[in-house]
Amino acid sequence: MLKFIIRRFLVMIPQLALLSILIFLLAKAMPGDALTGSMQANPNLDPKVFEELREKLGLNDPWYEQYGRWIGNLFQGELGMSYIHKVDIADLLGDRMANTFWLGLVTLIFTYLIAVPLGVVAGRWNESWADKLIVGYNYVSFAIPLFVFALIMLFIFGFGLHWFPIGGSVDVTVEKGTFAYFLSRIHHLLLPAITAALLSTVGTIQYLRNEIIDTKLKDFVKTARAKGTPEKKVYSRHIFRNSLLPVAAFLGYDIVFIIGGSVFIEQIFSYPGLGQLFISSINQRDFSVVNILVMLFGFLSILGTLISDIILSIVDPRIRID
Amino acid sequence: MKKGKWKFLSLLIVLGLLLSACSSGTSGKKSEGQEGQGSEPELVDPSSFPKTVVNEETEIDGGSLTYALVSDTAFEGILDYAFYESSPDAEVISFFAEPIFAYDANYQITNDGESAAKFEMSEDGKTMTVTIQDGVTWHDGEPLKAEDYAFSFEIIGHPDYTGVRYGDALISGIVGMEDYHNGKADTISGIKILNDKQLTITWEEANPSLLSGIWSYAEPKHHFEGIEIGDLASSDKIHTDLLGFGPFKVTNIVPGESVEYEAYENYYGGAPKLDSVVLKVVSPTTIGEAIKKGDVDIASFPTDQYDKDYVPTNFQYLADMDAAYTYIGFKLGHWDAEAGVAVQDKDTPLQDVKLRQAIGYAMDNKSVAERFYQGLRVPATTLMIPFFADFHNPDIEGYSYNTEKANQLLDEAGYKDVDGDGYREDLEGNEMVFNFASMSGGETAEPLANFYIQNWKDVGIHVQLLEGRLHEMNSFYDRVEGDDEAVDIYQGAWGTGTDPDPYGLWSKLAPYNYPRFVNDKNEELLAAGHSEDAFDQEFRKDIYDQWQQLMVDEAPVIPTLYRYYLMAVNNRVKNYSIEAGSELGWEDVAVTAEKAFVEE
Repeated sequence: MLKFIIRRFLVMIPQLALLSILIFLLAKAMPGDALTGSMQANPNLDPKVFEELREKLGLNDPWYEQYGRWIGNLFQGELGMSYIHKVDIADLLGDRMANTFWLGLVTLIFTYLIAVPLGVVAGRWNESWADKLIVGYNYVSFAIPLFVFALIMLFIFGFGLHWFPIGGSVDVTVEKGTFAYFLSRIHHLLLPAITAALLSTVGTIQYLRNEIIDTKLKDFVKTARAKGTPEKKVYSRHIFRNSLLPVAAFLGYDIVFIIGGSVFIEQIFSYPGLGQLFISSINQRDFSVVNILVMLFGFLSILGTLISDIILSIVDPRIRID
Repeated sequence: MKKGKWKFLSLLIVLGLLLSACSSGTSGKKSEGQEGQGSEPELVDPSSFPKTVVNEETEIDGGSLTYALVSDTAFEGILDYAFYESSPDAEVISFFAEPIFAYDANYQITNDGESAAKFEMSEDGKTMTVTIQDGVTWHDGEPLKAEDYAFSFEIIGHPDYTGVRYGDALISGIVGMEDYHNGKADTISGIKILNDKQLTITWEEANPSLLSGIWSYAEPKHHFEGIEIGDLASSDKIHTDLLGFGPFKVTNIVPGESVEYEAYENYYGGAPKLDSVVLKVVSPTTIGEAIKKGDVDIASFPTDQYDKDYVPTNFQYLADMDAAYTYIGFKLGHWDAEAGVAVQDKDTPLQDVKLRQAIGYAMDNKSVAERFYQGLRVPATTLMIPFFADFHNPDIEGYSYNTEKANQLLDEAGYKDVDGDGYREDLEGNEMVFNFASMSGGETAEPLANFYIQNWKDVGIHVQLLEGRLHEMNSFYDRVEGDDEAVDIYQGAWGTGTDPDPYGLWSKLAPYNYPRFVNDKNEELLAAGHSEDAFDQEFRKDIYDQWQQLMVDEAPVIPTLYRYYLMAVNNRVKNYSIEAGSELGWEDVAVTAEKAFVEE
């Protein structure tokens, strides 16, 4: 097991190196840079200044020099500076990542809280009215675009009922570090998290339902029943555990989802997280931030797969390698 | 029982969907209907909106106000005048920091009215003496000093400065600035601090734009002590630990999303009437609802969401002309980077003035303004926008929609449809197709571009979208700026700032002259417009009148639309004004009710 994990980690190094070169080249291939278009609102600025700035920021150097400088700094733990925000990227990511992490975590918890019971009910009593309702909900939640649903939720619970704030991650008037601050954060989190959770249950419910229906007919279940195991136990011990396999496999990827953030949710709820930062950085050609974010997402995807594999090999000894 | 509940819930969801579908559908339907009947749509006259809120109620003591920063991204958080680059950041700054001078209705600095400093010009127009007024203090209690003002120039001119302000002629033209910028001198010889409250600034040349274009912001020198200027941009001192001398001080800031301000009791213009202001970022998709529900008091209202049939009950609109215009440009040459000059040498039929004029007459800007922007944009006439009331010449008609004239011009010039395909051929009888580059963004971008293309088709000019699509902002500028041969016609826009001088946009020496238009008369007039003679207002007006007419006659670009911007303000707000030169500032803004009014 340990060997397996170490090997996977070693494979990660060339993968990430390749990724870093690719994204760096792609980013450079995008038209424009961080200074493009900034003269539109202020033509009094001498274009020479922009040239001077490009020189200062090293934007005119050939790509391999820029890449070398960037990767060198990265190895020394320096993420570099954002061209647009003018702060250290580590500081910039710090706030955003915390926001996104909490939003993702709460979303994930809600997703499982909703999806697992629904999946179990639908699988156990398939073809019942409850199952049909749940499958119906699945179709609807799969079909509604997130941005439409988010607006409806915001409209009803934010503007209509005033249960939740309409945006932001925390109330600015609350003092940092107090209990009220903590509550305010949760209050801001709930609506976007529930909104996202309600629409991201499809996969889990569907997999769980199918697995349970499949497993129900397997021989070992029949054996268990034949032995006289109570129905409740058949489900909790034999069927449920086996059916959770694909769901567990998802968990690793969900970590990527947590950090990756949702562009739509963050945009509509004006919630400053990584997803929002990613999109605006691309639009503004804030290369240094884009590169770091892609590296981060790439690293997490690989890590996510690894975690999924580890979980799988724990719950299912058959796929254990070595 | 349970089933009933489920039904109710699903009904609610379906209803919600229907409602949202309806509200987005109605506006589209309406305009179709109107087009079908061929009747004139009822017009909004944007100039009829007030510029100051109308509120006769008596104000309450103190109170708090919520200001919405309408943006679909977080604000960047570079909260200093010398460094910020985006307008959301500027909005955040405007509460706690302000220029040291007062501005009049013509966007020129003035000694009338409250201001942190007064100025005096020398006879030759090259030297200004600035006197800081007594009683002006930074939020930490330190008095505002002459060295603070000088320091802002030292920051911008510094060799390590990473912002974009240095290029302005009124900054780089200060005596000794160049040496300082190149690291040859430690100080700027043209800025002399006489005492704690007084300094003089001397420029190399007198510039009539000085009063509107001078850099008028001071930086708290003591606050930045110990920080290298090269590190200032990334320092906390301009991101979270902020200091200004404006009416409000920052008490709390959540980076990128909200700021809490508290009244600064020792503000030199008198203690603010409000106790506090909360600024928060609100997405443009929800701002309309936020205003109706009273969740925010003041917000810039997206003009594309404006519905002229909706009569607000709990808020009012303010509108004023934006310092910007949209135009159609013709690519006529290229930029010679080495010589730093535009060369009008492109081999294109567009070199023919009559063809350019015909293209101008063919565009129905009135319909564009009414149908795409509900009247919140108005057809443009000249390149000097009405925003500059002193210089805009309302007598010049510009290019109004006139297909007859367009056809006539084309016939005269000899562009005939030889092969009968509905499009005119060029003078040699070859097919003539132009590529039109336009920026993507917003729902109307594409229909708008197609509308113009249809307009041109109506007079037989074949124009197609460059590569059959719109272009994203970065690639658009890459290609227009880079004089891509494939671009023949483009749609661009300029923000003008508050300086009327058009030299930096349309001179052959200006890289922003994207059409690469070269004309001797143009150079002559533009140079005269900011010469010493131009200190005489009459003279300058006359020069700019001639210039506006010249640009209409030569038509290197066709100005298409002037813009208005909208503010939505809750009815409980008093003394809020967007009028240029208004005496009312944030310190005067008050509320007349504890809570914001909600839509009835």
